[in-house]
Amino acid sequence: MKKKKRIILFLLIFVLLMGTCSAGIQIVAKNINGSVSGRSRVFASVSAEKKHTIDLLVAGDSESYTSVSPMDLWDKTGIAAYDCGQPGQRIQETYYVLKTAFRTQSPKMVLLETNTMFRDPGFLKNLQMSLTEPLSYYFPIFKFHNAWKALFDGPGILQNAYKGFEIRNKVVSYEGDEEYMKETKDKTDIPEVVRIYMEKIRNLCRKNGAELVLMSAPSPKNYDYKKHNALEEYAKEKDLPYIDLNLKYRDIGIDWKKDSYDKGDHLNILGARKVTDYMGKYLQDNYGLPDRRGDDGWKDWHELARQYFEELKKKI
Amino acid sequence: MTYESLVYGFVFLPLCLAAYQIVPQRWRRRVLLVFSYLFFWLISRNLIVYLLGTTVFVHCIGIWLEWLKSEQKTELASADRSEKKKIKGIYQQKSRRVLAFGVLALLGILAYLKYYNFFVSNVTGILGNVLPFTLEQKKILMPIGISFYTLQAIGYMADVYWGKIRAEGKLEKTALFLAFFPQIMEGPICRYSDTSDTLYEGRPLNMDNLTSGYIRIFWGLFKKKVIADRLAIAVGMIFSNYTSYSGVVIAAGAIAYTIQLYMEFSGCMDIIIGSGELFGIRLPENFRQPFCAQSAAEFWRRWHISLGTWFKTYIFYPVSMSSPVKKWNQYGRKHLGKYITMLGTSAIALFPVWICNGLWHGARWSYIFYGMYYFTLILLGIAVEPVRDRILNTFHISDQSVWLKFVRIAKTWVIIFAGELFFRADGLRAGISMFRSIFTDFDLNALTDGSLFNLGLGRADMIAIAVGCVVVAVVGSVKERGTDVRKSLFRRPVFVRWALCYALMLAVIVVSAYGDGYQTIDMIYAGF
Amino acid sequence: MEKLMNILMEIDDSIDYENEKALIDGRLLDSFGVITLVSELEDAYDIEIEASEMIPDNFNSAEAIYKMVLRLQEN
Repeated sequence: MKKKKRIILFLLIFVLLMGTCSAGIQIVAKNINGSVSGRSRVFASVSAEKKHTIDLLVAGDSESYTSVSPMDLWDKTGIAAYDCGQPGQRIQETYYVLKTAFRTQSPKMVLLETNTMFRDPGFLKNLQMSLTEPLSYYFPIFKFHNAWKALFDGPGILQNAYKGFEIRNKVVSYEGDEEYMKETKDKTDIPEVVRIYMEKIRNLCRKNGAELVLMSAPSPKNYDYKKHNALEEYAKEKDLPYIDLNLKYRDIGIDWKKDSYDKGDHLNILGARKVTDYMGKYLQDNYGLPDRRGDDGWKDWHELARQYFEELKKKI
Repeated sequence: MTYESLVYGFVFLPLCLAAYQIVPQRWRRRVLLVFSYLFFWLISRNLIVYLLGTTVFVHCIGIWLEWLKSEQKTELASADRSEKKKIKGIYQQKSRRVLAFGVLALLGILAYLKYYNFFVSNVTGILGNVLPFTLEQKKILMPIGISFYTLQAIGYMADVYWGKIRAEGKLEKTALFLAFFPQIMEGPICRYSDTSDTLYEGRPLNMDNLTSGYIRIFWGLFKKKVIADRLAIAVGMIFSNYTSYSGVVIAAGAIAYTIQLYMEFSGCMDIIIGSGELFGIRLPENFRQPFCAQSAAEFWRRWHISLGTWFKTYIFYPVSMSSPVKKWNQYGRKHLGKYITMLGTSAIALFPVWICNGLWHGARWSYIFYGMYYFTLILLGIAVEPVRDRILNTFHISDQSVWLKFVRIAKTWVIIFAGELFFRADGLRAGISMFRSIFTDFDLNALTDGSLFNLGLGRADMIAIAVGCVVVAVVGSVKERGTDVRKSLFRRPVFVRWALCYALMLAVIVVSAYGDGYQTIDMIYAGF
Repeated sequence: MEKLMNILMEIDDSIDYENEKALIDGRLLDSFGVITLVSELEDAYDIEIEASEMIPDNFNSAEAIYKMVLRLQEN
């Protein structure tokens, strides 16, 4: 019995220790943004945003942050948006990125790019993600642990990012079939793990008063009508708005010769700006997201937008 | 799921521990078996049929051998003196055939899965134009751990044949012996008598085992995640682009790979043996401070011990005590003198050991070369022994002198590093060309011009590796002096003990090479 | 026993066979030493030692070796 008590005490102290370290590393990660790289960066950078300044969160895998440019959206509509996607984001990560963002932000809307919803890395990987993600949410030391290296390697270079968006000006045309959305009755399966975590994401958004909207970015490589059917059905079932831009890419004005970054997988900056324009109008027409351009709390957004358009001029 | 993963250490193990503790003692080994098969299935899926097939087969062979023994006994009991020898002869021949059948069947499966493509590519390479038919390469999936459990199975059958152990009567016990999840992927290669007592007993869990087991698991994680997985980055870079590096970097790569391999393999062993310890199951040690070895032969008694022991028991001794070798021994001692006889015997007995050692690691010429490399060196060591003794005597140097010890250790290090260079190199040709470049392209500038910093490791990574190695070396030297590190840790005051534990756990969590900028590195020995 | 001692001394005369109880475990005799010993024993006592006898327990002390020899002679 005495031994058991000791073990419990040992573990308690350990949890405390982890908590302290986590709090410490959180501060480090916030202040020297550059010391956190790769997948974890978005967790650090979204936490570093000024409190309650973001009205629209764009989540998902790389399809998400290559399709919506917050600075263009800001310029045209005054909507304060942030791209919190990650390359190859898994649904567990989506959930915890959002959860992390909701700690300091109170967005009115979450725009979820749907490509993440078909990703199923298998049982073991899912189990592992379902373990590591909450663990690193409650103990950020797991996520930002590599920040200790900044002590020896220097703080690292902070990449220029415009609220999670980067200007990608490469053009590699998509030469495939432009009619990639051929109508069919078939459906792609949405993996069980995605359904579970989507439920959690819905609850999270509801609790925080944010509307959840599903969006499929134009990408011949990733989308077809089977996925469209699955998403359409899912959205109806859960009563979520769903926009499939693959069916509207002509209206948006996407030119697959010029607007693709890598043969129809991701959009380049040209494509992203077109999608952003389209989405901006759509959001203005259908949702009452505030225009912050005149508000005092958002002054630094103007400055960032200026830098963005400067870089844009240089690059295209 | 690999041993260093979070899922293994903090989901799979706790679940297994809980299930093990809840059920009555006599069911505990079944819990272990169920979890072992679950583990295997999660990794190799349907290939589990190989394991199941081997288990049933080996179990039957064991019982068959045991049955022959009892038959022999009953017949001997009623036989008179003159008949006894005859009966013995008959039964010996019978059981030898059964054993041969068993061993050949298992080796056949292993050979097919592991060496078929190698065989085909070499045959078609040499005889391609002569053969009237073509042999196709096949895509063969190997079940995990087959190289390890096959050796255990063969050892088990031989032990029954020799009468060292009685055949196991319960299938579930044989099954657990072969499949026990901590050691199925990477060994240690256990002998039945090593593990059977603690494995089947189903002792209740206790706090001491749990704490010291988990400490060992964390220690293994430290070696693997802090040191080995970092070195893997630089090692991978050097070995895959070896033509673009100068000899100094290649030499550094050989050293780095040796350290990586040690940290990785012995680290996984710590996790494995620690996992066994949680259940009170004692698995044999696989490493004993190999870098303290003073000769190549001693190195192999300290490195991958269970493999060496297996080869010694089931190949070296049987070969060296087979009748042809005995005849050679007799003939030699009469006509050729002790020295030559000894050398001959050693060569005959060691050759199969080292060819098997090479082949066991996989079907590649570079592995065969690796085996032959050690064969040559160890034989050479035996050959020069008398000469060396004479030299030491003439110069009145004590065999025990400290500096001599250091010279020997240094010599052994060079042997090890060179060996691992060939072992890791991408094919024998690459290995030879890398080895040559050490001598032809040795440019010390590479040390100062920063090319060592362009191997994917930053300053912080290098510091982590260096500090990690120092810690491991210190612990190793304490062990080498015969101290049980964990036991002496438990004797310290609570404050020191806990602080050290926290330090180890935090080091694993914070300094490990995972997350951004790192990739999961597969366990090297699980691939053999 | 005396015969055995002579054989042992021939293999390595620097070992105190009377008192040593860990010839194998203490690595005083290496595997080649054991093999030489085995063939000497087979000649001297007209016995056959099989690979299965190659366990440390049989070779750790002069006494153990002697016991094994006696056992094999009986068979």
